[in-house]
Amino acid sequence: MSTILTSADDASDEMVETLLKDLTDQEFRERYDCDRFTATVLANRLRYSVQHVVTGLLHRAFSPIIALCYDFAACICAPPEQNYAMSAVTNGLSIFLGTMSAGVKVAVEEYGPENLRPGDLLVCNDVYRMGNHYNDVCFIRPVFHGERIAGFIALRAHQLDVGGIAPGGFSASKHNIYEDGLSISPRLLYREGKPVRETFSLIFDNVRMAEVMLPDFHTMQGCCTLGEELLQETIERYGVEAVLGTMRYSNDASAESMRRAFAAMPDGDYSASGSLDADGVDADEEYRVHLVLRKRGTRVEADFSGSSRQARTCINAGALDTKTAVGVSLKMLLSPGSEFTSGTFRDIDLVIPPGSMVGALPPDGAVFCYYEVSALINTVMLRALGGVLGDAALGGDFGAAYVHNAYGAHPDGTPWLCAAMAGGEHGPRGGSNAGDGDGQSCSYVFNLMSPATESLEQDFPLRIMQREFVPDTAGAGAHRGGASVVKDVLYTQPAQHQTISLRFRQPAGVGVGGGDDGALGGVWIFGQDGAATTGAETFVAMDEGVYADAVAVAGTMDPQTQVPDLDGEYFYYGRVPAWNTAPGATWRYRTDGGGGWGDPLDRDPERVKRDVRDEYVTIAGAERDFGVVITGDPHTDPEGLQIDVAATEKLRASRRHA
Amino acid sequence: MTGTGLIGVDVGGTFTDIVAIADGRIETVKVATNVAESYKAVLEGASEVDVASASAFNHASTHGLNAIITRRLPKVAFLTTEGHRDVLDMARAWRPGEANTDPRWRRSFGDVTAPIVPRYLRRGIRERLGADGTTVVRLDEEQARAELRILAHCGVEGVAICLLHSYVDGRHERRLRELVREEIGDVAISISSEVSPLAREYPRASTTVIDVLMKRIYGPYTRELAAGLDGLGFTGDLNFADCAAMLAPVDVAMERPSRVVFSGPAAGTVACAHLGSLIGEPNLICTDIGGTSSDISVVTGGKPFVNTTFELEHDLVVNTLSNEIVSVGAGGGSIVGITPTGEVRVGPESAGADPGPACYGRGGSAPTTTDTFLMMGILDPDRFAAGRSRLDPELARVAFEKLETNAPLAERVRVAYRMALNNVAEGIVDVLVKNGVDPRDHALVAYGAAGPMMLPALLDQMHVKSVIVPPHPGLFSALGLVSADQVYADSRTSYAVLTPDAAGDIDALYQDMEAAMTRSFGREIEGVTFHRSFDGQLMGQVWETPFVDVPDGTITPDAVQQMIANFHDAYEARSGNRFEEMPVQGVTYRLTATVPTAKVDYPAPAPRPAGETLQPRTHLTLHHLDDGDITAAEYERDDLRGGDVVEGPAVIREPMSTTFVPSGLTARVGGVGEIVITRGATR
Repeated sequence: MSTILTSADDASDEMVETLLKDLTDQEFRERYDCDRFTATVLANRLRYSVQHVVTGLLHRAFSPIIALCYDFAACICAPPEQNYAMSAVTNGLSIFLGTMSAGVKVAVEEYGPENLRPGDLLVCNDVYRMGNHYNDVCFIRPVFHGERIAGFIALRAHQLDVGGIAPGGFSASKHNIYEDGLSISPRLLYREGKPVRETFSLIFDNVRMAEVMLPDFHTMQGCCTLGEELLQETIERYGVEAVLGTMRYSNDASAESMRRAFAAMPDGDYSASGSLDADGVDADEEYRVHLVLRKRGTRVEADFSGSSRQARTCINAGALDTKTAVGVSLKMLLSPGSEFTSGTFRDIDLVIPPGSMVGALPPDGAVFCYYEVSALINTVMLRALGGVLGDAALGGDFGAAYVHNAYGAHPDGTPWLCAAMAGGEHGPRGGSNAGDGDGQSCSYVFNLMSPATESLEQDFPLRIMQREFVPDTAGAGAHRGGASVVKDVLYTQPAQHQTISLRFRQPAGVGVGGGDDGALGGVWIFGQDGAATTGAETFVAMDEGVYADAVAVAGTMDPQTQVPDLDGEYFYYGRVPAWNTAPGATWRYRTDGGGGWGDPLDRDPERVKRDVRDEYVTIAGAERDFGVVITGDPHTDPEGLQIDVAATEKLRASRRHA
Repeated sequence: MTGTGLIGVDVGGTFTDIVAIADGRIETVKVATNVAESYKAVLEGASEVDVASASAFNHASTHGLNAIITRRLPKVAFLTTEGHRDVLDMARAWRPGEANTDPRWRRSFGDVTAPIVPRYLRRGIRERLGADGTTVVRLDEEQARAELRILAHCGVEGVAICLLHSYVDGRHERRLRELVREEIGDVAISISSEVSPLAREYPRASTTVIDVLMKRIYGPYTRELAAGLDGLGFTGDLNFADCAAMLAPVDVAMERPSRVVFSGPAAGTVACAHLGSLIGEPNLICTDIGGTSSDISVVTGGKPFVNTTFELEHDLVVNTLSNEIVSVGAGGGSIVGITPTGEVRVGPESAGADPGPACYGRGGSAPTTTDTFLMMGILDPDRFAAGRSRLDPELARVAFEKLETNAPLAERVRVAYRMALNNVAEGIVDVLVKNGVDPRDHALVAYGAAGPMMLPALLDQMHVKSVIVPPHPGLFSALGLVSADQVYADSRTSYAVLTPDAAGDIDALYQDMEAAMTRSFGREIEGVTFHRSFDGQLMGQVWETPFVDVPDGTITPDAVQQMIANFHDAYEARSGNRFEEMPVQGVTYRLTATVPTAKVDYPAPAPRPAGETLQPRTHLTLHHLDDGDITAAEYERDDLRGGDVVEGPAVIREPMSTTFVPSGLTARVGGVGEIVITRGATR
């Protein structure tokens, strides 16, 4: 038996074949209750109105993950009679894009739209109703026009804590929903603009750091109110029918863009798979996502049959997360210029096995690290379509979020917790027809800011000793991927740590079109039992000789040298529930490298020389990976490098004929 | 002898605008910018006005900004703490919202695109301070010298130094500067603890790099300029405008030239603020519509909105006070196109100056907003840009006919017109919402070549009080340079919770800044006003609320209490929430000193003699408006007198600009020659 999700909004089956651009003025007006010009104008206006909902949030939030990392999104959804279709969404976190539309419908239907009044604010965070994880709390404001609901403003933002066994929530080891956090079913947080005491009490009696979260709740109520005012002004000026018509139009325009992109792709079955390293119980089982993308005519079906059973701890995703990842990945690959709405999903069908890692079920299919599954689905999609897309294929990114939690107590006894900021959150992207991949970004499906080294060191007993690119780690290609990022974090006080490193067993940076995969990364601890906290010896060298004496935490490595090696042994991040370190210990995260695009032997030797000059590629790497022979000393005489043209031509010719 | 005249010079990418004020008269000169040696065009223009009798020569230039955008940059090196040399490539890691799901987006200044400093010239230096300023790793001078010798061999012309935590203590940076002098010699050097002693390494590093680049770009230029002005007999003050259009004496500006990297558009905002003070309009929405974009800014209570940072490109940050200016891709050159779903889109792509709009006849095949206004009959093909070039309506028509849509020609032009206006309107509303500004209290100032032609029509869709077309709208930004004050600015970061105990430290900080600033005046100045403010945050927040007032005089425990109260008031006014129970953390302390500065005075237009009435020069037929073809009166701005009234539809022409007053609107000539357009007829 499978869960089959079909299109998210209403209009699919009755969709007329006439392209939007070919509609006559009369037809356009009949369908959308306004003229084409007004629909264009209003569609833009809805998009920027919803952007303003979150403008204030970034700068006023206390929750560091909102304030530093942009972990939120807002959208405008249509009224119940238009099936809550999401018509505009912020440019925030893309893995919220698809869950919010479905989530608003579920929450409002359950609460009953007839029970809502102007000024209400619904709150809900249940992952099985709304996707994402419990920390992502959704706030929903109905917007009334007279007696009737004209739409909804919804805001979803990561909260510092929602209870459960892990402070802050970030953990790969929670076994079930009871350990995962407080599940808030749809209920009123504000009634006609006034706080509802029992809801506030329910939430704040069950979470940590409530004093910091409370002002964020007030701020979010303010953000939703601003969004409502903007929508009200628009309705007042253009009329409610034009606004509702524009909501339909926005969805139709997205759907048409996707449909055209599907039509341009050859019919066929495209399949690929990829895996998360292990759950929080043991390393015996890799969790595999298997995808068959069946494309026929103007529709696609994403079939996840054959994917692994749901994991025993919370590295699973819910069906809505899977839906979102498919929509985001397909839009990214095929129609990057179109606007994201519920209509984006109209011609995508999904087959999601219930009780699998891509459709986990309560109470035992706990969901926290769903974003890791989202990123993995994206990798699998890049791999599945790598061949058929030709030049438009994309090299893979470094794959995941590699979250690190560190905590301890200051000498005066006050606790500190550094969550999701001192691991491997940022790394390279893949090569593409646009050129080489960037070195420092979030993976394709996230877009979070990187906190400043100086801010982290001001707030926590740690020092970021290194944050640099690693030579010879980028997937070689005509356009190479970005290079791996090494991040060394020295802790000056005793500390405990957990790492959620789920993509170090196999390289995430898929190469496409003859390009190479990016290098495999890993996690190590240097000086776990204590080391110097001052002096030059606090720097850990980059060369591969340093790893033998370190503690290998995560990754496939040579068991002796502990250098990443595809033929090596897998070191399991969860073999110790909490890693203890003494002052002076340094954690190193080395991300996977980005995947290359196109044949490395086609790369212009001058560009290879530039990479050698810039120490992205070594002289040996230039010869091995690109077939380019370069002489000189990049570090001491970077401008004196020479390409041995004859040797390069000879070497490349022999490789091509090999 | 120094006279009383004022000269403002705005060096743009294509033209250099010069305004000279003498004896109440405004003289304007426009010369082609000499891109290779831009001081020459400035001197050429200056020689056409009376430089010798001017008391001040105030200067703004896009030269430095253009060098960065085009990456035609001097070769400079970047030194930072070992392990962090990629801070300039990594920036803050985030992509702009519009590229959220664009996998091909790449950072514009990254190593794989066009870095400001290539990686091999970015070198890690073995040293480390802790967050409290203590030494964690001592500066390894041998290692530093070895790296510097390599950079010397590469022939770098400048060195930017930004070490971790140097905003707390700059001793390693200062020592490293000495080593640079010894190993590389007399090259430009900027160190972050002097350029921008603020927390967060990336913006500080980026600012320091921009600073050293500006030293190389503007240093030789200012020497040539000063010498040339000397030669023309100029004996007054040479000032540079900065990103907030505050003037700084050239020597002061060149000590920290990151401050002047983006000075042109900011001057426009200040021109508006000054005009507003003369005509009693303290609340203004300033909109400068040029060829490629509309630059929108806000003046409230007579003061521009000021930011503490500025982005040259997405995430390419400079820490400097800057007038908040939002650029929307809507200008005269914005290209009209049809999307795959049949929507008419105008911009953000622009035909630029070359090939330019289709009607320029320089090979542009796509219709633009200029073509739209030409098709409508609002632009006069024979009088564009002071008659320097003729526009060809036939080419505009052909371009519109080539669009892939079923709509008839008239419909295409009409929708392109409405969409062009709508884009500007949405851009303006966006700025207003973001800043919490109510348009009903504000007048819209229309300038730039295309502003007066486009903006009056927005009175139909925006609830602004009026649209004001200032005197000389085509080079109004340059007038900002003779509307500004001379301002000295300094700031320091020091994280501390505001409690009575903090008073001593804050006081010491201000005494230090005030002493340093007084020294930099180099002379006694009468009438200087100091203003203090701080950027603070509620304990636990990471983004500051900037510009909260700080009391004058000695900072006592009472003064700290006042700062806390001021913070809560400012926070509530800006965010709508008040969290009085939460402690306030002071982050950055700011000081400005404003020196009284002479400004332009616009001459009052002569009144119309009794019995005489304003007559249009002719009547025109305008096409493609909502109400079909209409007849409009055409006036010359030179013919207007104080108190004159013009009923729309009407077109008012002047050499560098055209004002279009649509039907149902009324224009009146105000006290300094400004045209004030409001809704409704006079009768």
